[in-house]
Amino acid sequence: MEWFDSHLLTGLTFLPLVFGVLLLLIPAKGTQGKAILKYGALIATLVVFAASLQLWNGFNAAGDEFQFREAASWIPSLGVNYLVGIDGISLLLILLTTFMMPIVILASFTTVETREKEYYFLLLMLQTGMIGAFTALDTFLFYVFWEAMLIPMYFLIGIWGGKDRIYAAMKFFLYTMVGSLLMLTAIFYLAYQHKLQFGSFSTAVVDLYKLKIDATGGYFSTQGILFIAFALSFAIKVPLFPLHTWLPDAHVQAPTAGSVILAGVLLKMGGYGFIRFAFPLFPQAVQQYQIFFMLLSAIAIIYGAWVATIQPDIKKLVAYSSVSHMGYVVLGLFSMNAIGATGAVYQMLNHGISTGGLFLLVGMIYERRHTREISEFGGITKVMPLFAISLMIMTLSSVALPGTNGFIGEFLILLGAWKANMGIAAISTLGVIFGAVYMLWMFQRVMFGPLKNPENKKLTDLGLREVLVMLPLIVAVFVMGVAPNAFFGKMEPSIQKLLTRVQPVAAAPVAMLQERKGN
Amino acid sequence: METQAAQTLIRSDLLTLTQNQMEMLLPYAWVFVGAAVALVLSVIRFISPKWPVFIVSLLTLGGGVWATEKVIHGERLLAFNNMMIFDHYSSVFNILFLVSAAVTVLASFRYLDKEGLQYPEYYVLILFSALGMMLMASSIDLVVMFIALELMSLAVYSLVGFRRADRKSNEAAMKYFVLGSAASAILLYGVALLYGSTGSTNILDILATIEKTPALVTPVFSVGAWLVMIGFLFKVASVPFHMWMPDVYEGSPAPITGFMTTGLKAAAFATFIRVTMSLGYGKSISAVFQHHMHDALWVCAVLTMVIGNLVALAQVNLKRMLAYSSIAHTGYLLIGLIVGPGNENGYSPMIVYLIAYAAMNLGAFVVMSMLAGREDHGLNLHDLAGLSSRRPWLAFAMVVFLFSLAGIPPTAGFAGKYMLLYSAVQAGEIPLVVIAVLCSAISVYYYLRVIVYMYMKEPAGSPANARASLWSALATTGMVAITMIVGLQPSQVLNIAKKAVNSLVVAAK
Repeated sequence: MEWFDSHLLTGLTFLPLVFGVLLLLIPAKGTQGKAILKYGALIATLVVFAASLQLWNGFNAAGDEFQFREAASWIPSLGVNYLVGIDGISLLLILLTTFMMPIVILASFTTVETREKEYYFLLLMLQTGMIGAFTALDTFLFYVFWEAMLIPMYFLIGIWGGKDRIYAAMKFFLYTMVGSLLMLTAIFYLAYQHKLQFGSFSTAVVDLYKLKIDATGGYFSTQGILFIAFALSFAIKVPLFPLHTWLPDAHVQAPTAGSVILAGVLLKMGGYGFIRFAFPLFPQAVQQYQIFFMLLSAIAIIYGAWVATIQPDIKKLVAYSSVSHMGYVVLGLFSMNAIGATGAVYQMLNHGISTGGLFLLVGMIYERRHTREISEFGGITKVMPLFAISLMIMTLSSVALPGTNGFIGEFLILLGAWKANMGIAAISTLGVIFGAVYMLWMFQRVMFGPLKNPENKKLTDLGLREVLVMLPLIVAVFVMGVAPNAFFGKMEPSIQKLLTRVQPVAAAPVAMLQERKGN
Repeated sequence: METQAAQTLIRSDLLTLTQNQMEMLLPYAWVFVGAAVALVLSVIRFISPKWPVFIVSLLTLGGGVWATEKVIHGERLLAFNNMMIFDHYSSVFNILFLVSAAVTVLASFRYLDKEGLQYPEYYVLILFSALGMMLMASSIDLVVMFIALELMSLAVYSLVGFRRADRKSNEAAMKYFVLGSAASAILLYGVALLYGSTGSTNILDILATIEKTPALVTPVFSVGAWLVMIGFLFKVASVPFHMWMPDVYEGSPAPITGFMTTGLKAAAFATFIRVTMSLGYGKSISAVFQHHMHDALWVCAVLTMVIGNLVALAQVNLKRMLAYSSIAHTGYLLIGLIVGPGNENGYSPMIVYLIAYAAMNLGAFVVMSMLAGREDHGLNLHDLAGLSSRRPWLAFAMVVFLFSLAGIPPTAGFAGKYMLLYSAVQAGEIPLVVIAVLCSAISVYYYLRVIVYMYMKEPAGSPANARASLWSALATTGMVAITMIVGLQPSQVLNIAKKAVNSLVVAAK
């Protein structure tokens, strides 16, 4: 068991890739072969999910900052090593990844009809990249996984996407690439600084945390520029207004599974990057730029909501809602207090589940009607009751109704933002209202009213497989909405530790939460 | 001691070789004998010389690699009155040249059949140019260097024009010959001026002389140095001396283009590094001259990266696109040259990059020679549409090479690029690094566009009718393997490169 634990992360990271290669080697011809591919991929991701539960069990929130650590030498002369380990934040994000993957694969059973082998291989390869990025404790290793993730996603959008898939895939790749190359340069600079200050190259996160980087000279001090190099790449990934324009294209053109993973996990990479790398590495610069980023996220919240409201296409609406919701995440992070940051991490999980669920539902209706235009629908509740219930739950989770997971996240974020800057918090709170407007209005136009369109009368309700796809998400929405403390317990100490590197005094969120529960 | 000996006239002890020197000469002798045998075989008439010459060429190159491997850990040796040096550095480069020549031979076999050009002298010319490259990397006398350069270039001039009936090929050969000769003349003129101002053509002696008497860095010396540098900048196709290159690359037979972008470029850089070191670059001799050298190289590197990448964006012919991308890669390599003295890994990132670039670019050209129709038609982007469904393994190999060229992990191109940039950051060249990363972001677009055609578009028109040959498949597989291994385990390659560079630094003292 000890050996198992001490190699768990590496195993978890590369297991999907190994399964993927095995799938590639299976000669899959005809319907039987395709079934082997589908179920093989499903079983692979379920095995990975089961293995990842061991992380949850074995992770001791009161213990060391990073657990399940592994180290191996990789490029010693440049100070680059294979270092992995998780804290409470990465634990939850890894679980989110492993939880979403089987769902995504199950949902792809009927949507993907061509080149299944490559498709499932790419999905599994993507999973390796995502888990790897969340576990990496070496900035360079993180960069490698971060970039390696682009390749499968690029193909997923480009091959199985919609009409403008090539444009969207290219835009997605180039946007991410520009940001991340600057981050790479900054990583080199940090490694060199480590050499100057401590005598040896290192790209390990824990080593780099100790660096003292010159922050005199305002926004364009050394630290400020390095922070911008990191922040740019994370802000593109999140994506933060005004760098968000790749997202609607990528989301709308991607196949359902691609959108779900993009919304569910890839966008979280940006938020994760901020709290794991940008904040603790550049504490003074973060504080200098705090207001700037809070403002941008407030704009993202409002702007995303407004643009979502007028979208005629459901998928595009959900895509813009992502911009708005991820704005909350950045707002929470840049409140730079424990409440806001906890809320932000929690909101990352929520957004993965609720937006992922919404994309799945959009995919299901698209499969039936081959359109996503809101005006084509109306009165769907009458023919698809199960679909209506699922969409209702996901919508409510998305508009942060108390009792669902979304409420906890947004509430904490706004609370944290309020402490940091009242004005911006007040503006952002409006976003909650706008959020309700576009989601509920969409729901009303699609689901209620008379069933006018004759084509909609033939629609069939969700089948067993589709119910199985939605059920785990629905359960997660309520579990996370009712019992958040199980999750807070895992991540709070980690957030505290990261924030103390930025600000020596950080407010304890536990007291606040107890207070809220008392109300 | 040795320098003093060099100044006397004829001494018999300089004309004999010791046992060690003989051993060190073995790879060169082997390749030379192999080339001679192939030459003889190519005139036999009672059977077709195709197979014998092909097999002898492969044996020569393979045996050359083996012989080089045997001497690679030996001591550094000077020979022929200090005109040649056998060190780790030259051995590493020799292996690089031999392997790229072998890959070129493998890729050419079926290609020449297809073109109806299966003449045995093709292989002989490849062998001679490989020999020229090997001699270039091991020469430390500017005159020997020049002769080796000419041996290599003359063989390559003929290879470029090998498709005699094709006007483009003829144009390429003519252009390359005329401009290449002009560059050689400039180089030689520079050598003469250096000799005039320091009294030696030996690069170790030149360095020793100007280190002893910095006052010798006169305007004449500077002009000589500049002319030599321009000669090399021409050979590596750096902007503004790149004009010949796209046409030449487009006109040459595809495998030869691959050979030129890798072997020839590596040979030019191998000598370029030796020469810049001998001019005292990075040492505190005549600060003004060094600054000028740095600044000029800096400008060349930036222009090369920017122009190479921007023009590549507009290309629709794969061969021409890779020609411009090759210019861009020269720009990255020049960064290595600039920052060489300023970081603790020295020039070794550059060697890693040359190895990585050789693997991925050769691979891409092998794939292209397999895809090309007669006279290299059918290499436009739209001809590649839907390649992944027609020839999935070939498309996959091409994807690996393209991602590697674009510098995306976990491939060799990424390993090479980050080592270069890492060393540049260390040397304090931050603006250069930022320009380089932005350029490489631009480059992603045109590399990925090829993938778009291969994977995301439906096939249009009749696909090029090409069967995969065993030899090309072998070469492609090898290059994919090297690209991935260098990408995943770069530290081993870096160690090899470091050893090579260390032997170089010792030699220059």
